[in-house]
Amino acid sequence: MDFSLSPEQLLIKDSVARFAAEHGEGKHEDHWPTFAELGWLAIGAPDELGGFGGPIETLLVMEQFGRGLVVSPYVAQVVLAGTILKDAERSDLLEQLAEGKHRFAVAYEEPHARYDAASVDTAATKTADGWTLRGKKVRVLDATSAGTLIVSARTEDGVGLFAVPADAAKLSLEKYPSEDGYDVADVTLDGVSVGADALLGDAGDGLAILEKALDHATAALCAEALGLCSLMLEATVDYTKQRQQFGVALSSFQALQHRMAEMYIELELVRSMAYLAAMTLEDGADPAARKRGISAAKAQIAKSARFIGQQAIQLHGGIGMSEEYKVGHYFKRSTLVERLLGDRDYHLGRYVALRGAAVAEPVPV
Amino acid sequence: MDLAFSPDERAFRDEVREFIATHLPDDIRRKVQAGDPLEKDDYYRWHKILFDRGWAAPGWPEEFGGPGWDSIRRHLFYEEFAYGWAPRMLPFGLNMVAPVIMEFGNDAQKQRYLPKILSGEEFWCQGYSEPGSGSDLASLSTKAERKGDAYVINGTKTWITAAQWADWIFVLARTEPNAKKQEGISFILVDMRTPGVTVRPIVTIDGGKEINEVHLENVVVPVENLVGVEGGGWTYAKFLLEHERTGTAGIAGCRQMLNQLDELLERENIHDRRLAERIAEVDIELTALAFTELRVLAAESAGKRPGPESSILKVKGTEIQQAITELALDAGGPYFEVPLARRYYNYRKTSIYAGSNEIQKNIIAKRILKV
Repeated sequence: MDFSLSPEQLLIKDSVARFAAEHGEGKHEDHWPTFAELGWLAIGAPDELGGFGGPIETLLVMEQFGRGLVVSPYVAQVVLAGTILKDAERSDLLEQLAEGKHRFAVAYEEPHARYDAASVDTAATKTADGWTLRGKKVRVLDATSAGTLIVSARTEDGVGLFAVPADAAKLSLEKYPSEDGYDVADVTLDGVSVGADALLGDAGDGLAILEKALDHATAALCAEALGLCSLMLEATVDYTKQRQQFGVALSSFQALQHRMAEMYIELELVRSMAYLAAMTLEDGADPAARKRGISAAKAQIAKSARFIGQQAIQLHGGIGMSEEYKVGHYFKRSTLVERLLGDRDYHLGRYVALRGAAVAEPVPV
Repeated sequence: MDLAFSPDERAFRDEVREFIATHLPDDIRRKVQAGDPLEKDDYYRWHKILFDRGWAAPGWPEEFGGPGWDSIRRHLFYEEFAYGWAPRMLPFGLNMVAPVIMEFGNDAQKQRYLPKILSGEEFWCQGYSEPGSGSDLASLSTKAERKGDAYVINGTKTWITAAQWADWIFVLARTEPNAKKQEGISFILVDMRTPGVTVRPIVTIDGGKEINEVHLENVVVPVENLVGVEGGGWTYAKFLLEHERTGTAGIAGCRQMLNQLDELLERENIHDRRLAERIAEVDIELTALAFTELRVLAAESAGKRPGPESSILKVKGTEIQQAITELALDAGGPYFEVPLARRYYNYRKTSIYAGSNEIQKNIIAKRILKV
């Protein structure tokens, strides 16, 4: 057993950390080509496309993005869309993604689905030369900058995934900001026609491919949460050491020391679960074990991150409420990450359904 | 990064599993499974079986007759105890006084005490806490006065597990009454058969009789029973506590209790969504802690000394243990089952012993967060 990082992994971690330190909080859309040049968009892609690494490398990138509050569409693009394209064996499209030339958005969630990817009413009807899609998708991440939407839709064989040009006729986007300013949109498909080659993989394989990609993306969010939480705790400890009240540093009060110790314990659980999520994916576990591992991670992280975030605001006092000060920005991003791709209740429910008897081994190694 | 156990480690685990399955006496296994109290002879018989196999002292280096295992193997070994319903090994001799004697004792002491701890021939207990000194251990008032070639000890020690069975007790006593609080404390080994030593049982809220008060009244102890130097006791005491804190997460034991809880739900045909979710949350947190423990172990096996990170394991591990006993109690519903209640009451001790969880949070704040 060895938790140390390889020289290559340290290099990625350092270069992302440097970027985050240099450019600071923001979306950094204009740096997307830089991400491609540095190879970050090819993480997880097959070797022949210049790809390298996997879930652990993704974790290292996302943790540093979290620490720097770099809110890039990395998860939506590289992890979510990238994993779908890889598993659907569409290296033509994946290559464009990895080179930063073309962007994708995954439109899977429906109005009343509450995170459940299997709840698909959008229909794909076979036509003479392709498919017609009809339905509605909500909260699609990174939709407005995408050239192609990957849409899940029900076919005669199950659920299929379709690559749909964002400018297709009878497709409309309704863009709105999420609470931390992230770009999301609702998508309406009102009889959109696509060619036969729009189908990614087979017409009945879409759900399995989508659920796996969502698990990869969820693991990446867990890593982002790790970065966010670690920074919130550090900021809180630093602040209480500097802030003087009653003639002494706030950090000298035991009530606050214990609270910060509790935040630290929760942070270590977040760190463990972020790594466990990545490991579960590295193992290539069977779908049930994979879902169970990812849901355990997300449910735990959602709980711990909420505690750390709320206490970070509380211990900062008034300044924590100020929009000018950074800790509130981290708190808001963390609150969003908690709920993206399934909140605590959703993942707890999925875990309960898959739990069965308690597993005999401490961790799936 | 390689997070799997090596083939050797897996083979080792299988070997331990097989050994426990075939060598642990059935009557002892049944008691542990049911949470019934064990007798001295139960502990002794199991210790003897392990001793004959060379496994009685997992934490000891080879030069003193230990197997020389690294932290990963020790972890796997103890985990298998829980999975196989083996009794825990009483730590007072093996994991508390022995490391202190190895580190700070003289050769005569090493030869006199260690072999009998290893063989299980002599039982030990711990003389740390006093009625007036719990978390603030350095405030202890038991006195050891030097008179010629002996110390005369007077005082009361309390919360002492297994004192009723013990042949020896290691005592922290004040040898220099005018020194500063942490100074002037010495670490002295006392034969329980010495005149003036009396043991009084303390019945706990679960009805258990595990712990005792030990009175020391004009107990005369030869000076050669002093470990290390006079006044060095506080340093040795802290060294001992660091050893005690490692491996307190009790992951496998929690897994076993969760399994029992699942069996209870199945047997009683209980289908309660809220209960299922509460159990799942504890199960998930246990997984997170198990992984955290592996991170700590991996750091230790890479040569890092056990540090304040073990406080996380202690706090969270005991919180989870308590949460499971609480869930079991609630799962019983109106059928307030006595064994479940007994365990629930008993496990309240876990957040108090081995440095209360509040003390652990002080340690995390001071030594990790540096506030």
